[in-house]
Amino acid sequence: MNPAIQAILFYVFALGALLSALGVVILRNPVSCALSLAACLAFTAAVFFGAGATFLGIAQLIIYAGAILVLILFIVMMLNVKDEQPAAGSWLYCVLGVVIAGVLAGTLSSAALRLPGATGGRCPLHVLAEHADELCPASNGAAAGQAQTTPAEYGGALPPISMREGESDVSLLGKTLFTHYNLSIVILSFALLAGAVGAVSIGRSLRRD
Amino acid sequence: MECFWTWCCDILRNPTWFYLLTTVAKLALTFAVILAFVVLSVWIERRVAGWIQDRPGPNRAGLPLFLLRPFGSKKAQPLAGLLHFFGCPPDGHIARLCRWLRLDREIPIFGLIQPCLDGAKLFLKQEITPSYVRKFYFILAPMLVLGPPLVAAAVIPFASEVSTSFGDISMCVANLNIGPLWVFAVSGLSVYGLTLAGWSSNSKYPFLGGLRATAQLISYEVAMGLSVIPLLMMFGTLNLQEIVGAQAADGWTLLPLWGNGLAVQRWALLIPMGISFLMFATCIFAEANRTPFDMAECETDLVGGYHTEYSSMKFASFFMGEYAAMVIGSAMVVTLFLGGWSIGFGADAALASCSEWLAVACQFAVFLLKLLAFIFFFVWVRWTLPRFRWDQVMKLCWLVFIELAVANIILTAVILYFVK
Repeated sequence: MNPAIQAILFYVFALGALLSALGVVILRNPVSCALSLAACLAFTAAVFFGAGATFLGIAQLIIYAGAILVLILFIVMMLNVKDEQPAAGSWLYCVLGVVIAGVLAGTLSSAALRLPGATGGRCPLHVLAEHADELCPASNGAAAGQAQTTPAEYGGALPPISMREGESDVSLLGKTLFTHYNLSIVILSFALLAGAVGAVSIGRSLRRD
Repeated sequence: MECFWTWCCDILRNPTWFYLLTTVAKLALTFAVILAFVVLSVWIERRVAGWIQDRPGPNRAGLPLFLLRPFGSKKAQPLAGLLHFFGCPPDGHIARLCRWLRLDREIPIFGLIQPCLDGAKLFLKQEITPSYVRKFYFILAPMLVLGPPLVAAAVIPFASEVSTSFGDISMCVANLNIGPLWVFAVSGLSVYGLTLAGWSSNSKYPFLGGLRATAQLISYEVAMGLSVIPLLMMFGTLNLQEIVGAQAADGWTLLPLWGNGLAVQRWALLIPMGISFLMFATCIFAEANRTPFDMAECETDLVGGYHTEYSSMKFASFFMGEYAAMVIGSAMVVTLFLGGWSIGFGADAALASCSEWLAVACQFAVFLLKLLAFIFFFVWVRWTLPRFRWDQVMKLCWLVFIELAVANIILTAVILYFVK
């Protein structure tokens, strides 16, 4: 994939994700909020696709957009929730909200600044400008064929796992999960199983009454 | 002219433009095939329904007779008069073509006029949007039903590869490494359409239909995902093009008769594959919301289900969505279990060594034939089985299919490990 096209698509999808995330907060009707959350998840999945993490993107679509959000929508519709009224807020809520939002923003920005290569790396906009001329038909794709944008151009060295030739990210993910993180996976699955069994038993006992 | 030719070559030699142009061409082809199959499967549905239930069926649309009246009544064979009017000999090529198209019969062109008239009728009907609906979602819902199946088709391979002087073309729109997952994810999104249709109609029965659709689709998605895992274990890849390639070389999943397919392991694996096929096909029926499972639009208890308040083209797009989902589901079954585009018995490799383009054309034709055959099976089931009860549908999924699917995965693992 041409880096210029990749950059254009990244901006389109990232903008979509940001706008729909804003929609979740701003819109009044709960169903609209749930739907813009779905749109946000879909756009994020598209960004994952563009970065080559196809499995992550598809898992996002199947699990969050396809199952969890549909259940949320289901519940919102069943309860027939009315439009949200602007809360007659006391100043305490205001201060609390500002503090929490500030802590979150600080955490995110410090994490972003500490990414490998955050200084001296190149933002996708520069890559877009550099590779745009390759799209010209007469250029014969001279550079585009070979020059792949390496992850290093975006943000320095990646974590130790790297893909070998001819291996898809699905098998890579599977190998990592079932070798390196095997114990954590087993513990997590037991926790989920316990949750499922608990839900079933609660549902049962309610019906017997 | 020369200049134009060089310009074309320049464009094609640029890898990005080559990729873009071939993708757009494949996209147009896939889209056209699916829409044609939507219309075709409506026609098949009507013919087969009439045939199975031993009645004429709603496929009687003929040419409007008043146009032919100047040429005489039905008994006087208006076709002969018409041919005479245009000066065609009664046993010439044109007359034979007309007779082959059955223009002289009561139902001309095999009843294919019926789908055209259906379309025209739905376009021209009055469009009513009730005053009490939530308008934005009311309009959005049919789009969300029709869109996902068309997008899901992107990963289905319809022929093998060709290599041109400008680069290789793989005959599927997007050769993703996660083919089946893409289809599950995207076609799962059509749940939103059904739910929103039920909710935004703001009336009781559509709402119940929408709720039923949501519960049913989400449940069967789980069973569907689990049921194909044995197959993925056998092939060891999630790339649909590679899965079909392996089937072309070593025997279809359900018909291992050539190549490595004659090994003991493949024949032992036929048991889990058969179970997997039955489960997957049933889940596809449920996902497409078709009759043994059409709880969401069950007329006897829900009037019309989630589309009760819809009219005209919005109503039609729900049905186009249903038929598109049926076509995509059939294509998935054909791709995973019945060899996809592969002609079988080693004919693919022989044809490809002769001419790659010829091989691709033959494989495309074979794929469409298999697709038609499975759509016929789909319709056959619909007109044979009665509708389930709602609790039976959910029990079948949660108490039978999911357990069976997990047992099937374990069985496959045992066979793969012990039988060599």
